[in-house]
Amino acid sequence: MPNGGSWFDQFVNELPKKPWFKRVGAWILVPIWAWRTPVKPLRGGPRPSIQPADNLQSMMNLIMPLKRENKSPIGRAKAALAIAENKDQIFAGLDNVGTVHFARFVIVNDNICMFSVYDGDFSNYIRDFIATIGGVFDAVVALVEGGDDVLPSAHKVEAFIEWIRRHDLYQVPDTATDFLRDQEALNGDNAASGNDDLSLLPRKLILQLRANANVSLGSGYRAYPGYSAAQVRERLGIGW
Amino acid sequence: MFNFADVQGNIVRGYRGKPRVRHLVLEIADRIAARRWLAACASGGDNVPQITTGDWGADKPVTCFNIGLTYEGLRALGTPDSSLETFPNEFIEGMHARALKLGDVGESAPENWPAPFKDPKRIHLVATIYASDIAQLNQVQDQALADGRTLRLLGGALDGCSFPDDLVHFGYRDNLTQPRFAGVHDAERYADGQPKAPLGTVLLGHPTNFEGLEWRVPEPEQLGHNGTFNAFRVLKQEVVAFEEFLGTAADHLLSQASVDELLPLGADAIGQGLSPRDALREVVAGSICGRWRGTGTPLALSPDRPNLLPGMSLTDFDYDSSRCPYGAHIRRCNPRGGQIVQRVANNSRRLVRRGMPYGPLYDPANPRDPELERGLLSNFIGANLGAQFEAMSCDWLNLGLQDPRITGSNDPMLGANDFKTSWFDLPLRSGRTIRLRGLPRFVQTRGGAYTFLPSLSAIRFLGSLMM
Repeated sequence: MPNGGSWFDQFVNELPKKPWFKRVGAWILVPIWAWRTPVKPLRGGPRPSIQPADNLQSMMNLIMPLKRENKSPIGRAKAALAIAENKDQIFAGLDNVGTVHFARFVIVNDNICMFSVYDGDFSNYIRDFIATIGGVFDAVVALVEGGDDVLPSAHKVEAFIEWIRRHDLYQVPDTATDFLRDQEALNGDNAASGNDDLSLLPRKLILQLRANANVSLGSGYRAYPGYSAAQVRERLGIGW
Repeated sequence: MFNFADVQGNIVRGYRGKPRVRHLVLEIADRIAARRWLAACASGGDNVPQITTGDWGADKPVTCFNIGLTYEGLRALGTPDSSLETFPNEFIEGMHARALKLGDVGESAPENWPAPFKDPKRIHLVATIYASDIAQLNQVQDQALADGRTLRLLGGALDGCSFPDDLVHFGYRDNLTQPRFAGVHDAERYADGQPKAPLGTVLLGHPTNFEGLEWRVPEPEQLGHNGTFNAFRVLKQEVVAFEEFLGTAADHLLSQASVDELLPLGADAIGQGLSPRDALREVVAGSICGRWRGTGTPLALSPDRPNLLPGMSLTDFDYDSSRCPYGAHIRRCNPRGGQIVQRVANNSRRLVRRGMPYGPLYDPANPRDPELERGLLSNFIGANLGAQFEAMSCDWLNLGLQDPRITGSNDPMLGANDFKTSWFDLPLRSGRTIRLRGLPRFVQTRGGAYTFLPSLSAIRFLGSLMM
């Protein structure tokens, strides 16, 4: 941060800490920026890579907002029941997909979420998931905003996969400046701007987090990276 | 009964009597004229080559002619947006954009592809001619591009020619099996225990291999139904590096205590008069592919000798409890009924493969012109590029997700290998393995395009577009 000695520099430097400025920023400044510089949301899912280790234990953070009529304790209860009633089938299906390490369902506010760790390609994972238990999972998707457009999943495979990808959180790269590179690439801009001083809280970063309000931070921690679910099961002698 | 006259012939037939192929990568120069050209190709007349269909009637055609359109090609023809947006994402994005999924990195990356593949926006149509000799290829090409204004040839023609006994570069035998389809007459009727593939494996609008699952058929139905997709690839084969690796691997094996397990019947069983080193070269080559060089005998049936014993079949075999390496090329790309991690995926990623070598035959004993480019002009045809070609490429060919014993390694023959990290396990009779390391990338991608192979009705539809 520039460390000028004048009273004006100090005033500007202190601005982000002032409560009144935070309010002005959030309610006026950022919306004006966003209006002047439209930012597209970044795509969900892991970063494409050719390295085998990068394609094992990928994380899916699926956030699906419940339909307006389900945004209530009753709606959340319906979602909880949809999971509970089909839990055995969903788990047996995930077993058959074969590439899933962990999967769990969570309700956060009015969102039904599925978090899972899987091996290999995202589309293959979702396609195999539909082939195995699509019909059961459809009951969950039916409670979600926009879900009706991609049901039944067995007849709308491509659209369903794309829908799931749109609801999978964008994964912020481990290197924060790569976030800016992703943003530039999305806009077809191959030349890095070089304006990467993150201590200045870049406007680009703020606008991107406005477009992608929910993100996954970094690629996450793995206790035994580079092993597939089947490799772990094989080594534990529990069949794969 | 299914109407084969509506389907392009190269999808359901191998054209085995036509040893020469020519691919013409074309740009549509005049939209209106190109529509007229397509309509004429599908309906006869106007002195253009006729599209060969799956129904030959009584007479075999002298030459065969088929076309594939890229997404840019469909746009160039003026296909309405409402129709274009019903095509699958991978096709819309094109092969260049899918490079990471396909292992097209480093030297194989699209930015290193030579013309005409450098500029994918200009690739609109790939026309393919199959014939007995070059004169016929020239004749059909002249006929196809007669007026010189409708279609512009990008780069030179890509010619391939089959070698005797279906041999291909690296010394393997190709064209041994293809998926057989439910409801399709199988002229060759070779023994094959694999289940017949539902027609939807290769044609849009029919039942797929996943029970109950339907792939989206591009709209209108006349355009999408009975069409399919093709991954056209120019695959350069590094013949010199491949032969060198076999020698290096044989030397390494000779230094191993358990080497005798690889030649239990002696070197003579591999080939009369072969030295142990040369016999081990063949063992490595056979293990890499899953079939012995020359004979094509599957290691699943005959792991110790390349000759087929009475009662064995080149095509009828399975992998469980066989000694075919888990990572062998043909096992990785089609695990048949063998156990795999993705239990629903057996038989689901099958592809019709139409390939022909280019460049002169390479004889390692008499290595003339080793610097000449050699390879395979290949077509991988399936109704869903994402569920078949790409799924096979990214999780099976590379990564090896289907079996924990190969996960983390790439296909030894076709994979995106880096000699610093690559490995391949040779199984021994005792159940142990010897790990080979340092495999370089033997096959480099030199170009390609995703194309849509429209039905005859669809070609007429495109020919009649008015916009």
